[in-house]
Amino acid sequence: MKRQRLRSQNLGGARAIILHRPHPGLQALERQLAAIGLVVEQAWPDLPASAVAADFTFFDADDGHDSQFPWLPGQAPMPMIALIGSEAPGRIEWTLNAGADAQLLKPIGDAGVFSALLTARAAFEARKSLMAEIEELRRRLEQRQTVVRAVAALMGMGKTEDEAYAQLRGMAMAWRVSFEAAAERVVAMPRPGLSLRP
Amino acid sequence: MKRQISIGLLYSRTGSYRLISLACRSGVLAAMAEIEGDPALDLRFHAVERDPGGNLDRYAPLCDEILRQSPARHIFGCVTSSSRKEVIPTLDRAGGTLWYAAPYEGFEASDRVVYTHACPNQHLLPLLGWCFARFGRRAYLTGSNYIWGWEMNRLAREVITDAGGAVLGERYLPVGETDPTRLIDEIRATRPGFILNNLIGDSQYAFLRAYAALGREDPHFRPETCPILSCNLTECELAEIGADAEGLIAAGPHFDAEGGSGCTARSSFEAAAHASVWMLARLLADRPGAESLPISAMLDESAADRAGIDRRTHHRSLPVLIAQVRNGGFRLLHRSVPVAGDPYLAQGRAIPFHPQQLRAVP
Repeated sequence: MKRQRLRSQNLGGARAIILHRPHPGLQALERQLAAIGLVVEQAWPDLPASAVAADFTFFDADDGHDSQFPWLPGQAPMPMIALIGSEAPGRIEWTLNAGADAQLLKPIGDAGVFSALLTARAAFEARKSLMAEIEELRRRLEQRQTVVRAVAALMGMGKTEDEAYAQLRGMAMAWRVSFEAAAERVVAMPRPGLSLRP
Repeated sequence: MKRQISIGLLYSRTGSYRLISLACRSGVLAAMAEIEGDPALDLRFHAVERDPGGNLDRYAPLCDEILRQSPARHIFGCVTSSSRKEVIPTLDRAGGTLWYAAPYEGFEASDRVVYTHACPNQHLLPLLGWCFARFGRRAYLTGSNYIWGWEMNRLAREVITDAGGAVLGERYLPVGETDPTRLIDEIRATRPGFILNNLIGDSQYAFLRAYAALGREDPHFRPETCPILSCNLTECELAEIGADAEGLIAAGPHFDAEGGSGCTARSSFEAAAHASVWMLARLLADRPGAESLPISAMLDESAADRAGIDRRTHHRSLPVLIAQVRNGGFRLLHRSVPVAGDPYLAQGRAIPFHPQQLRAVP
């Protein structure tokens, strides 16, 4: 998949929530986020309802659990960045299921924060557009049965299968709709008074 | 009775970009002498100096040597972004601070560094804005082959493209390379309206020489119709370049020109390094023992204000000056009010250049 050119701006004024218990080690992260121009809020153990509107969520991978988030695992409405201390496989697995788009290793210094923001945003955008594409393909898949029924209806009027397909394609072009939408219209037409001229 | 405080100096006195290093170094030495002679200050600085000789791999070991072998925790040094990035891990381990007095490409705000020269919202963006109105938006981009040139040109390309302009070519030379033939050939073929030059040292001198020759051959390539722009050329390199720099247009926070800031430094490098040492002196004055603290611990609200450092980013507010080389010196064309350093362009990339912010200097 081709990525869009990474644009570096637009982080000024963005809101970041850090879901982590108060800890001196977070100072470097908060400082760096502020230097980059983000507005930072810290929360623990639960995310406030306002978190849904945040632009980035940093979350603790060591003590975190699913019920902290007001959304289903992997369904965060913003880019998620894991703060990883223990690299135990179970924790990494939980982090991945929680939907981490990028990660920072503890102790957090001032290096890595900016690249984590850009990486997480790019991964989140890519995931979002893939999900939209999958949704569209799924919808078209579900309409396959409609297409079969439309072709059968046209064949019932004396066409061969190839002719019926060609006619349906011609209708879609004439009506300027998708193949599946044309099939839906054909199926919806009252029979036998079916008018095939668009 | 003055406290003696050791500071580190890490400037390359030889190598491709020696003139810039030497300008910074003389700014540091001048400020040290002033502080020594200032009876109102309870301190004097003692320099612990190492010379990396323009070799990138020498910076981190020599920085480490200063931090290990002396009590110095504040180091004045580095004039390239690659060398600055080399020493940051060493500073992290020892709790040291680097005072970096050269312009750079932004996108950094280390807790271990104070950035006392300009970043792109203080040089590149206003310079491009100024240039668009006069020379159009057809650009050729060049630079030395490392982070400064790459990032400056990336940002310039974004700004030029967003403004509806065109980038006609982009080419890099290795640091120290002195054959600009291909660059000149491409410029001759594409006929841009201006050239953004992020070359450094000897490569830049060779390029300016070849471009001046091109201008004698074809009048389009003279400063009136196709100038060279720079965000780091200052007085400290003009003598080396001579007449070939005539007409070049540069942005910077200080020029040793009529209508300048009243500061007597001979270049913005010297001025920024000089100001850096004074900032540290003001932070340490009447605070015995503070010299061993990391910079973040020294910068409480009022101290940061006093020293003129933004606590959040460790950058400075600086005026934007645009000047042109005429008769061997810089002549000021424009000066803005001070602009806060915005390393991550959190305020956006909108060109901070419009008539309300700038007044022409007659």
